[in-house]
Amino acid sequence: MPIPTRKRGVLPGFGLAMGFTLSYLSLIVLIPLAALVLRSASIPGGDFWRTVTDPRVLASYRLSFGASLVAALVNALFGFIVAWSLVRYSFPGRKLLDAMVDLPFAMPTAVSGIALTAIYAPNGWIGRWLAPLGIQAAYSPLGVTIALTLIGLPFVVRTLQPTLEDLDPEIEEAAASLGAGRLQTFVRVILPMIFPTLLTGFALAFARGLGEYGSVVFIAGNMPMKTEIAPLLIITKLEQYDYAGATAIAVVMLAASFLLLLSINGLQWWSGRHATAG
Amino acid sequence: MSISVQRITKTFGTFRALDDVSLHVAAGELLALLGPSGSGKTTLLRIIAGLERPDRGSGPIRFHDEDVAHRHVGDRRVGFVFQHYALFRHMSVFENVAFGLRVRPRRERPSRAEIDAKVHKLLKLVQLDFLANRYPQQLSGGQRQRVALARALAMEPKVLLLDEPFGALDAKVRRQLRGWLRRLHDEIHVTSVFVTHDQEEALELADRVVVMNDGRIEQIGTPDEVFHRPQTRFVLNFLGEVNRFHGRLENGMVHFAAMACPTPEPNGMADGPAEVFVRPHDVQIDVQRNGHPCFPARIGHVHSAGPLVRLELIADSGEMLLAEMTQERYRALGLAPESRVYVTPGDIKIFT
Amino acid sequence: MPAAPTTLDRSKTVAGRRAGATTEPWWIRGLLIGVTVVFLGAFLFVPLLAVFAQALSKGVAAYFHSLIDADALASIRLTLLTAAISVPASALVGVAAAWAITKFDFVGKSLLITVIDLPFTVSPVVAGLIFVLLFGRRGWLGPWLDAQGIQIIFAVPGIVLVTLFVTFPFVARELIPLMQAQGTEEEEAARVLGASGWRMFRRVTLPNIKWALLYGVILCNARAMGEFGAVSVVSGHIRGHTNTMPLHVEILYNDYEFVGAFTVASLLAMLALVTLVAKSIIEWRAARQMAAAELTGPRDELE
Repeated sequence: MPIPTRKRGVLPGFGLAMGFTLSYLSLIVLIPLAALVLRSASIPGGDFWRTVTDPRVLASYRLSFGASLVAALVNALFGFIVAWSLVRYSFPGRKLLDAMVDLPFAMPTAVSGIALTAIYAPNGWIGRWLAPLGIQAAYSPLGVTIALTLIGLPFVVRTLQPTLEDLDPEIEEAAASLGAGRLQTFVRVILPMIFPTLLTGFALAFARGLGEYGSVVFIAGNMPMKTEIAPLLIITKLEQYDYAGATAIAVVMLAASFLLLLSINGLQWWSGRHATAG
Repeated sequence: MSISVQRITKTFGTFRALDDVSLHVAAGELLALLGPSGSGKTTLLRIIAGLERPDRGSGPIRFHDEDVAHRHVGDRRVGFVFQHYALFRHMSVFENVAFGLRVRPRRERPSRAEIDAKVHKLLKLVQLDFLANRYPQQLSGGQRQRVALARALAMEPKVLLLDEPFGALDAKVRRQLRGWLRRLHDEIHVTSVFVTHDQEEALELADRVVVMNDGRIEQIGTPDEVFHRPQTRFVLNFLGEVNRFHGRLENGMVHFAAMACPTPEPNGMADGPAEVFVRPHDVQIDVQRNGHPCFPARIGHVHSAGPLVRLELIADSGEMLLAEMTQERYRALGLAPESRVYVTPGDIKIFT
Repeated sequence: MPAAPTTLDRSKTVAGRRAGATTEPWWIRGLLIGVTVVFLGAFLFVPLLAVFAQALSKGVAAYFHSLIDADALASIRLTLLTAAISVPASALVGVAAAWAITKFDFVGKSLLITVIDLPFTVSPVVAGLIFVLLFGRRGWLGPWLDAQGIQIIFAVPGIVLVTLFVTFPFVARELIPLMQAQGTEEEEAARVLGASGWRMFRRVTLPNIKWALLYGVILCNARAMGEFGAVSVVSGHIRGHTNTMPLHVEILYNDYEFVGAFTVASLLAMLALVTLVAKSIIEWRAARQMAAAELTGPRDELE
């Protein structure tokens, strides 16, 4: 157990709080995660490689990464517009929309999943308009992307909002007084200032999309090689009692999420460094 | 280039920030807008800049002879220095200063070399050339202030507007920059208006001072005029400490605090109740009657730590007042708390 | 000198923002607001409406018929049980972790903060997988557990365990920044005045963090009741026994019992709406508290 370097004066409970936290954390989080890592280490290298380079697995990685990437990009663009409108403009229903942004956090993913499927199925509310155009939304990579866009939306909006609120109006006035037009002010002043935050929101949405399962499985159709996401493949392997295969796929996913987490932390450190004073 | 605004009114919701204000700034002048917060001085400055639009029905805003009221802020060629500088924190000092040149339309934009030369010239002018590649957060407050000024000057403004230019600095830096800004103005001679709530700053720096209160102009004049010949109670109160007495006007004499003396400007004031003001440094103290109109008092508290001695006096008729005198005179008179003295108010101001 | 109306400073900023110099032309504003409304409408409101529309598509009678189905009721019971265990547990460990992290200095603090966020980074499916690897029939402890007659995977304990895993960070995450900002002075004052540790916590710390704590608990509860991926891996989908509400939605949906699926889903959607309302109220309360604190605080901060 860590020893406090400087126990602040008279406050009690460090031992109890820390002991409880560490025990709980170990039992519920660390030991189970360590089990995964150990298990993957016990898989012979050749088997591991064969599993994760199996065409079906590769196709699932491609779909998971590709759809998450596209969804995160869509969110970066539209999430930015949403955050901007909610922060800058007053219009009827603004407060309601603002509160609703958290819906994808609050709504169980399975519910979002079946709702989206019902809407985008060829006979659904939106799907029936897309079908004549030759666009198949549900049971296609497009459907996966739609689900991941829904899931990632709050990450971009909620990350951007505080930054946009904190933008000093003086900065924009300064640009205007120096002769910059609104577009120039946006491109040269506002965008560079919020870009690290936008990137953070994008990365968070991307990371969430990679691991998402519930909202995707219904709308994806789950056809091997076509619309099968990586998390679903893990479940399939488990159902076949192929623990080694499931573990191998999971370790690659986990490594990808950690890389993203690291880059998000790096981003926040970087933008924090640039955000001091001005 | 002169600035002239006429009949400007501005309301925010139900709050009237400016109420029918007219003002003329002569070409090359350094003018101070002085007043407490909420007096409308910043709003007036922002309206001149074009950052704020006056209410409908307001008069013209003229730069020289041209009405710019409907011009966008970017087209007015005003240099505006913001209270918190509003430097672009993702740009170096150089880039900040160059910004106004780089955003010009292509055919008016100077070449890269011209921009380079101009920015360095300006940074030399504000004595910051050696910091060109630093970022704003690496600078001290005073340095940021000067970068903001250089950035505003880069666009060759017709007028320079400064919002509380020293408000965010500590007292010592503030004093240094004040002298520096005065010298800079004398050198480049661009028509300048600055906003301040610090009367000392306004009186020391400006050619003329505009004292504002509650969205109106109370008085316009040179520092000497507003300090020595205040036209309203507010100006008198706002520019330094002042003692106040309730008195009465009668036949060209004013009666207050157990004494009477001729009114300084005998004509024009009707008999009746009046308020009499006198500044602490105009209060003369003697241990005996000196032949001038005076009233008896005793000394209460004495603050002698400072260049001047400050005395709290209690008049025999009950009023409290403050007096200031030099250390030498205080010692020469042999004063101490509880001493009995005679008070001769000099340079009194009367408002009915 | 007359006191400055403090609200003025604010009206100045707000008005400055809309003063024409720094806002967009009306048609761009309209366009962006339009995009916002359409985008949020398509991705948030339409799915929400769809849930209720589908649930009621065969009429109110069919809706209530699906609601009182024995398996549906069993899934509701299991979901409530899971939340009843995992929410208090997460709240407790969240407070303990935040207390240790924010009131004391120790080596490895930032590592601990990062580790607390781990469950957010791990895919729900992977979260389920790690417990299968530990406790599953072919997992490390599987044979031993089998011999003892204890079943964790494909049983209620497994569901509770993965829920504990995924809900772990919620409360701690809300509390740490707040308690860090609040510092230790008030608690120290209470101690100096002779309060016992428990009394100090109950009378000083708890009132200071109650809104953030409630906020964390509400989000934690939404996740506990709504978790799907992780629970799906460990539950085994045994109707009436190891089906939580989200899993029951899946089973009914895959059996083409759409009204039934959307009926249970509508309950979860209502839970989500209640969560959002509660969240908004708490945010509003917290903002009001903050404003009150600002007003009584030093004047300089308003200038």
